[in-house]
Amino acid sequence: MVLRRFLPALPPLLAFAGILAIWELLSLYFGLDGLPPPSVALRQVPVILTDPQSLFDIVDSLRRMAIGIVLALVFAIPVGLWMGRSRFAAAFFNPLLSVIYPVPKAALMPIIMLWLGVGDASKILVIFLGVTLPLIYHSYQGSRAVEEKLLWSAAAMGMQPPARLARIVLPAALPEILVGCRTALVLGLITMVTSEMIARQTGIGNLVFQSLEMGIYDTVYAMIVIIGALGFILDVLFERLRGWLVGWAEPAQSIIVGST
Amino acid sequence: MSQAELTSPRIAAEERNALRQSSMISIERVSKYFDTRRDKRHLALSEITLPVTRGEFVSILGPSGCGKSTLLYIVGGFVQPSSGQVLVNDRPVEGPGPDRGPVFQEFALFPWKTVLGNVTYGLDQRGVPKAEAVARARALLAMVSLSGYENFYPKELSGGMKQRVAIARTLAYKPNILLMDEPFGALDAQTRTRLQNDLLKIWDEDRKTVLFVTHSVEEAVFLSDRVVMMSRSPGRIQDIIDIDLPRPRDRASLLLDRRYQDYVVNIERMMDAQTGDHS
Ligand SMILES: Nc1ncnc2c1ncn2[C@@H]1O[C@H](COP(=O)(O)OP(=O)(O)OP(=O)(O)O)[C@@H](O)[C@H]1O
Ligand SMILES: [Mg+2]
Repeated sequence: MVLRRFLPALPPLLAFAGILAIWELLSLYFGLDGLPPPSVALRQVPVILTDPQSLFDIVDSLRRMAIGIVLALVFAIPVGLWMGRSRFAAAFFNPLLSVIYPVPKAALMPIIMLWLGVGDASKILVIFLGVTLPLIYHSYQGSRAVEEKLLWSAAAMGMQPPARLARIVLPAALPEILVGCRTALVLGLITMVTSEMIARQTGIGNLVFQSLEMGIYDTVYAMIVIIGALGFILDVLFERLRGWLVGWAEPAQSIIVGST
Repeated sequence: MSQAELTSPRIAAEERNALRQSSMISIERVSKYFDTRRDKRHLALSEITLPVTRGEFVSILGPSGCGKSTLLYIVGGFVQPSSGQVLVNDRPVEGPGPDRGPVFQEFALFPWKTVLGNVTYGLDQRGVPKAEAVARARALLAMVSLSGYENFYPKELSGGMKQRVAIARTLAYKPNILLMDEPFGALDAQTRTRLQNDLLKIWDEDRKTVLFVTHSVEEAVFLSDRVVMMSRSPGRIQDIIDIDLPRPRDRASLLLDRRYQDYVVNIERMMDAQTGDHS
């Protein structure tokens, strides 16, 4: 009974243990300063997490990431849904998007800093840019795939086109939109860290690079582990939210997390 | 007097104008082309003319792909005809409206809504108070034998159950015209028979105008005042048969009725003669 409940947790635990073992072996074998064994590096994790300054940095990063993602959601979902329902909108935005998509958004950071300085605004804008495109893309796909007869059924009940976008297209496309959101969460985390490495002030990325410059490698690795754990926790929380929001959907929505 | 027109033989062209006054639906020389890949135009419907009297139950029979669904979509205002027009209540159809309730072949239930949520959706949309909407929805769900499934989501239902929810959802907001596209197609014979009876009972109460697409000759004869037979490529009306059987109709006694049997056999013969291939 107890065994059966914990059995699903076994493969991921094994995977983590495997990574730690390989890391430990590699660092013992090479004996490099820049590659401390996990037994040393991981000891820094509780130290970082109990240090008020580091905690503040982490929370500050997450705050910027949240603002950037929320802004992107507010912008990207309506645009994507509109593109999916209007041939004009699709023809207008599609070429723009395919030009902008492959540009690495973090590489724009130095330019954006020229306009907005090194503060929150630049970083939030970069995060916004980093997550907007996959959100638009998935909202667009979801909106385009909405079964026509759902819209017809609503129209027969007297629902007008603008209301249909919010009350039929949005919920019908939600499973696909949430696939985009999951990608956005990962990309947001990546862009957040990158932006802080370029515009150093506060934040997780800054912590990593400061420690790196000062040669405190165990802290660097501990931070990388913390970033990974953050991604993992956000993903688990997001999956909860997703199950709650689109439990009604047919399964078979395969999730592919895009790359930068 | 509308009864006389209702049971009159095939409507001749010159009578059309006279009929228009009493027509609930007037389909006038409707054609529909679809653009296909090979820059050819596919003629799905050719010059369909069909007046339907208020309160009339008309079935449409025809091989797969002859344009039955397309014709319903045009009457529903979901699809524009390439030429010709449809009048409903003497006004040209310009789009969908709550006077015409569709039941789609593909059910088209809102997957994010429960069974109850689906059936009350149109009522909420029309501003019916919540409590009243729920009461009406429950009564309709009881009629289609889905009591107890109120909180199920569409993905948790079988095809036949979805179909019954779709029927209840459309009946709920009481459209004057029902556009039903093979609404009993996914049902087992027993449920099908029961729902046919229920549909006739509902229809007898307030005599909605019904356009009913089906593949079953028996079903068409059992339910209808008139059966429209369509042929394929291009889709056109091949024949219209008046079903002169007494109402209210009782299935058991109809099955023994010689006239019912004749209608079924004759229509089947005509359909066989029309197409060598089977659909
Ligand atoms: N959106 C569309 N684009 C192109 N061709 C279409 C479209 N919709 C229907 N057609 C064509 O029009 C014809 C009629 O289709 P329709 O769905 O109305 O047939 P049907 O009589 O309802 O068939 P079934 O009994 O199989 O439901 C078919 O040949 C089909 O290929
Ligand atoms: Mg059809």
